[in-house]
Amino acid sequence: MQLPPTQAAVLKAADAQTKRDVTEIAAETDEKPESVTRAAFELEDRDLITVSEHVEVSVELTEEGERYATESLPEIALYEAAVDAGAADDPVALGRLIGDAGLDGDAVDIALANFARKGYGEVDSGEVTVNPAVTSTEDAEMAALDTLVEGGSIEDESILEEIDRRGLVERSERTVRAVTLTDEGITTLMEGIETTETIDRLTPDLLTSGEWEDVEFTDYNVEAEASEKQSGRKHPLRQTADRVKDVLVGMGFQEMQGPTVDADFWIHDCLFMPQDHPARTHWDRFSIENPGKIDDIPSDLVERVETAHHEGVGQDSEGYHSPWDEDFARQLALRGHTTSLTSRHLAGESLGDLEPPQRFFSVEKAYRNDELDETHLLEFYQIEGWVMAEELSVRDLMGTFTEFYEQFGITDLRFKPTYNPYTEPSFELFGRHPETDELIEIGNSGLFRPEMLEPLEVDCDVMAWGLALERLMMLASGAEDIRDVHGTLVDLEFLRTEEVTY
Amino acid sequence: MPVINVDADELRRLTGQENKSEEELLDDVFELGIEYEGETEEGDLKLEFEPDRLDWLSVEGMARSLRYHYGEDRGLDVLSMNDPEWTIEVDNTPEERPYVTGAVVRGVDLSDGVLDSLIQLQEKLHATMGRGRAKGAIGVHDLTMLKGAPLTDGAEKSIRYTSMSPDERFVPLESNEEMTPQTVIEEHHMGSEYADLVSGMDQYPAIYDDIGLFSFPPVINGQRTEVTAESRDLFIEMTGTDQWTIDRMLNIVCYALSARGGHLEGVRVSYSDDAPGEYAGAQVERPDFSTKIKTVSHDRIETTLGVGLDRETVVDCLERTGLAQTVKEDDETGAVEYEVEVPPYRVDVLHPVDIIDDIGRAYGFNELEPRYPDVATVGKRHERSRLEDAVRETLVGLGFEDLLNFYMTNEAENYERMNLTVPSTDDASAESNENAVVGDDEPVTILETYSEEYTIMRTWALPSIMQVLESNTHRAYPQHLAEVGLAMTVDESENTNVAEYRTVALAMADTEVSYEDIRGRLQALTRQFDATLETPPTDHPSFISGRCAELVINGTAVGVVGEIHPGVIVDHDIEVPIVAAEFRLDALQ
Repeated sequence: MQLPPTQAAVLKAADAQTKRDVTEIAAETDEKPESVTRAAFELEDRDLITVSEHVEVSVELTEEGERYATESLPEIALYEAAVDAGAADDPVALGRLIGDAGLDGDAVDIALANFARKGYGEVDSGEVTVNPAVTSTEDAEMAALDTLVEGGSIEDESILEEIDRRGLVERSERTVRAVTLTDEGITTLMEGIETTETIDRLTPDLLTSGEWEDVEFTDYNVEAEASEKQSGRKHPLRQTADRVKDVLVGMGFQEMQGPTVDADFWIHDCLFMPQDHPARTHWDRFSIENPGKIDDIPSDLVERVETAHHEGVGQDSEGYHSPWDEDFARQLALRGHTTSLTSRHLAGESLGDLEPPQRFFSVEKAYRNDELDETHLLEFYQIEGWVMAEELSVRDLMGTFTEFYEQFGITDLRFKPTYNPYTEPSFELFGRHPETDELIEIGNSGLFRPEMLEPLEVDCDVMAWGLALERLMMLASGAEDIRDVHGTLVDLEFLRTEEVTY
Repeated sequence: MPVINVDADELRRLTGQENKSEEELLDDVFELGIEYEGETEEGDLKLEFEPDRLDWLSVEGMARSLRYHYGEDRGLDVLSMNDPEWTIEVDNTPEERPYVTGAVVRGVDLSDGVLDSLIQLQEKLHATMGRGRAKGAIGVHDLTMLKGAPLTDGAEKSIRYTSMSPDERFVPLESNEEMTPQTVIEEHHMGSEYADLVSGMDQYPAIYDDIGLFSFPPVINGQRTEVTAESRDLFIEMTGTDQWTIDRMLNIVCYALSARGGHLEGVRVSYSDDAPGEYAGAQVERPDFSTKIKTVSHDRIETTLGVGLDRETVVDCLERTGLAQTVKEDDETGAVEYEVEVPPYRVDVLHPVDIIDDIGRAYGFNELEPRYPDVATVGKRHERSRLEDAVRETLVGLGFEDLLNFYMTNEAENYERMNLTVPSTDDASAESNENAVVGDDEPVTILETYSEEYTIMRTWALPSIMQVLESNTHRAYPQHLAEVGLAMTVDESENTNVAEYRTVALAMADTEVSYEDIRGRLQALTRQFDATLETPPTDHPSFISGRCAELVINGTAVGVVGEIHPGVIVDHDIEVPIVAAEFRLDALQ
């Protein structure tokens, strides 16, 4: 017969005449007692052995019990001190005896309680007398402790209960199992047994062959920590971007795409930014060295933009008193804002001419040659959105942004009038931080100026706003330094442990 | 944004609000759009505002707006002035800086900090409208130190704006010795700051009186005409590249000095026949305090603000902004228009829409009730961004950490540390590069870089992933990282001469990892996009030869896959093997 190793060992260790304890077999076969027990039951199922059980009581000394066994019970110490002090004849002051007996703390109370219980004498008004008729050497409890120390057992149940009550011993019960070989077991042994292997891994082969029924699985430590698995995750900034996109698509906005490296014409000139505007100096912008210039910009548009810069548009409009050079407009730069996508779309360059109403957005990177700090990077994501309709008012702008920011828990929006070269009226947006309740700047917005829209041949109203995505992400996630999040210095631990946002 | 330092007492005096607490005063200026930014060491208020209202660069200008705001002043503030006694003759100026303007101010008391306030105004105007003195530079002189030259045309006194010879000598401000213009530019501590503005000129600009050279604009004035707190009569000149701009700068300065009790006197500017454009041979009188008219329809005000307004409200708003208006009603249609007169110190009003903004500010934008526009549109994502997302989702599902790296990098990271040679920008050799491999395309280069770390735009994303691996060697392995992001190269067939493309890069770093691990992932990825995958052997300097393949998706070579070259791994201070791949996103389209 084929048997798993533990079962085979137990079967061999069993005897037909004598009951053999499981613990004994375990020691002999070098198996864990629980494995032997499991094997014993499995063998009983096969009718090869019988398993009998009885309850065994064991008594062990507690720490306190051990101490009294070596020293003495406190009441005996008190009795002996009292005898030595002559309390058999005259009462002796308790205070003195405590000192003589070397008692302190709880031991004093323990000594007094048991002194009286055992009839060693009396304590009255702080004076102790002893009963000369008893002797401490015959103390049954002390004797029981001594017996236990020597490994003996206590027959007298009342003594055992008493020292258990005093917390000097701990009694425990356990079921002892013993095995006896059956006749069938003897036969099997005589026919000979083969040992099957213990199995570490369950394999498809074991399952299909049915062999699993005859094998034993090695025990695993199921409580041990395993090496942690990393899940792949979307970058936290990307999660925020996704959410923004979801919200905007839900509000009827369509996504824009367009060049990162673009002509200043689309980045600034179309936005009615004068060419000598400080933001267009090399300090703020990343100009491109190679390639230097854009090839084609629609010449009629160039003409209209130049005229708007010099003369303005429509009645009572005057334009800027700044130089305008087409060559400068053709120079390439990394876009400083994604509003260049808006100007390309409004000009009909991206999707052809657009008729109102329209809503567009993008969540793309922009570049600023600015100071690096915990909230500013050279590359950042800008949320850009605009609405085109026959007629739009400041109130429409306010309503749209109130709706958008509410999706991110930012309420109580304030509109601070501000100045932008390409919008009028223009507003900085402020809102309440969802956690700290602070008033914080959350974006910039306005209605596009006629000097921007007319050259683009847009003859209706357009309102727009922009906001750094990082700012929204930091608000939502509590990240404190954007440099830990975006870029090659990212800490993988941050990506792996950052709480999921949704 | 401009910040000016203002003495709170001064502002109280000038507005007639002697009893206002500092807090009340700050609340009032905030309503105008001026923010308190703290205090200077001397206890002055630091006040910040947007760079459109340049008339607020002077405390006098702020005070004027406050008085209108309080309703203490009404009507347009247009200054009067006396007839000119002085002329500026303009002749043979450097062609880069042909324009000049000027004014005389008499009887102004510059003591008690007024001079400091004037100097601050001058500096702030230089920094803003003057574009760092390039477009307009201001010179203020003590009139009593000037000796006017008699004029041929009968005018009594004149100074001359012209060019000077390089041998000319004068004593500049903050110096005790005579210097040539060249020495000023090279050695004088103030002069050298503005050297760039004149460095390309054949001849330097100069202003002379009957005694000699007294100003070297836009660099420095002479010591002889220096203004002190005791000066009472001033000659103000401004030179620049645009007449309109210097005239407006002059207006702002004249308004500030007039508010200090100065009496204004005009100056004639007499251009020679070789002056540019409309100014050739022109005789003009400055300052130019003409007002301008912007016509705004009542209807447009209402549609922009989104509320119905009565005429009285509009008029009240205009007056509280310091504007004046004539209301016009069309007899037939009943349509109402306002002809709004804009004072000469308002340099920011370009278009009637700016008047509407002023009305909105005076009305109080935060009084308006937000409303969601009743406009229906259909929202949707861009197709490419949906594809990008789908690939990212799949990679995340395959256990890759999604990265988001900078698109700016440098040649060392993008090429050299990946074992690639930096491509030559020489066209001939670039085109003959027949052994082109993924990543070694010609980079888009940045002109004025922030630091040496960011000099080009990346041509591929794998170097960024290598950098992330490099800075995370203390973190647990395996590290499976991926990025779907932008890369670009110079490409003359594109409108911008730049081909921008989305690239997919993935890498697996672990103590044990090999080619089949990454190929297996690529198989899964391509299958999910219903694309075929082939990997014919190739060579790429970033990968181990013999363990590197071209990535052919749907029959087109779009990338590379393989085991990263040990030299590249060691160069990044990484101690585990890495397998990686990179390909164009649109291959999965």
